[in-house]
Amino acid sequence: MADTASVVIIGGGIIGCSIAYNLAERGLRDVVLVERQFLAAGSTGRSGAGVRQQWGTEMNCRLARASIKIFEQLEEMLDYPRSIEFKQEGYLILAFTPAEARQFEANVRLQRSLGVPVTLMDARGAKEIVPHLVVDRVVAATFCPEDGHINPFLATDAYARAARRRGVDIRLWTEVTGILVNNGRVKGVHTNRGFIHCPVVVNAAGPYSQLVAAMAGVDIPVYSERHQILVTEPVQPMQGPMVISFHHGFYCQQTPHGSFIMGVGDPHEPKDFDVGHSWQFLEQVCARVRELLPGLLKLHLVRQWSGLYNITPDAQPILGGVPGLEGYWMAVGFSGHGFMLAPITGKIMAQLILGEQPEIDVSMLGLDRFERGELIREPSVV
Amino acid sequence: MRITEHPILDFERGPEITIYFEGRALRAYEGETIAAALHAAGIKVLSYSHRLGRPRGFFCAVGNCASCLVEVDGEANVRACITPVRDGMRISRQRGKGDLRVGT
Repeated sequence: MADTASVVIIGGGIIGCSIAYNLAERGLRDVVLVERQFLAAGSTGRSGAGVRQQWGTEMNCRLARASIKIFEQLEEMLDYPRSIEFKQEGYLILAFTPAEARQFEANVRLQRSLGVPVTLMDARGAKEIVPHLVVDRVVAATFCPEDGHINPFLATDAYARAARRRGVDIRLWTEVTGILVNNGRVKGVHTNRGFIHCPVVVNAAGPYSQLVAAMAGVDIPVYSERHQILVTEPVQPMQGPMVISFHHGFYCQQTPHGSFIMGVGDPHEPKDFDVGHSWQFLEQVCARVRELLPGLLKLHLVRQWSGLYNITPDAQPILGGVPGLEGYWMAVGFSGHGFMLAPITGKIMAQLILGEQPEIDVSMLGLDRFERGELIREPSVV
Repeated sequence: MRITEHPILDFERGPEITIYFEGRALRAYEGETIAAALHAAGIKVLSYSHRLGRPRGFFCAVGNCASCLVEVDGEANVRACITPVRDGMRISRQRGKGDLRVGT
């Protein structure tokens, strides 16, 4: 019997699960999602679990704000019996140079114009929000109380269960090995478990998106880069917001469970598919904690790991199709912030695939922007 | 109870000191860990599980697990199994997750 689907989504991270749910919610039948390993096994489950609206480009701000509004009522929308652990106690972003402070002023003007409730403050204001923060060298800070933390595993599970209930066939341990294209049209997907006939395929493969794109003959300007992260033992709640310093490439947040998640960006990280980790990373994190949050130095480390950013030249995602290749769609290149953009991404992708008017016009996030050189680079990335 | 003879290990016991567990004075010897001194005094419950409040005691003995976390002189999350005793040390059972702000 021929294995057929209306749409095959490649990737069981939160992006793929959100797209699957939104397609099924709009009544599309025979949607199949294939995942190489298990749900959230790639970048989603390895992420820092932060969600924020404080971005430096209009598009990222709009996608993030729309997503947070969906996250705020996700359990109800998806009829999920558990909490997704949305701790909405804000992001405090620190500037350490006058140039950075000027960028923050511009960011805040943009963010406020888009309805993001963000405030610009001095070092004293930052100290009031996080009393154990060392602010001696802080020049300015911005704070948005609606930002925060969400458990990526539970959020993915919520989307996956809702998608399954609406008829989506989620196939784990199913790896795509090829995409059949004939006369500029997608015809099907080869997997390690057989061929699936389908007129539409969606690349939601996260850090492996460039490999999947190449299977369809599409060249996308992205690369994957390792980012390391750690988690500590849990302690009583003591830090409401995520603290970020782009200057140090450092972020630190206390989860609802009480553990702290911390990471440091390193320009020398391998730019391939390596998800190992190093002791040097622990030294780098400890140096930043000693400098900025010395009150946390007594925390014991529980675990370290790493995940991959799928990075585009402007640190904004690639959403949409490819001219001349009918039936191929992609939601890739999220550059380290795909988890937090997943709710609206899934909705917009479903609308695009079904030929509806998307809730937010994302035509400027198409692949063709790189050829035209119309890049607006996102400045606020760790 | 303390082991005094062992086929492959030698116990070089340091001078006798006094430690306090939940306010009660106990005899201990320099060079031994908090867990060893408490175990010798018959104290086997060191902390409680976070959710159900069940007793937790000496378990991994190498500082890896969270079973023996106690509060020492106001500091939370001290691993009794690898922390040496000190004269006059005040130890108490930890209830719930430790509070890093205690003692600061």
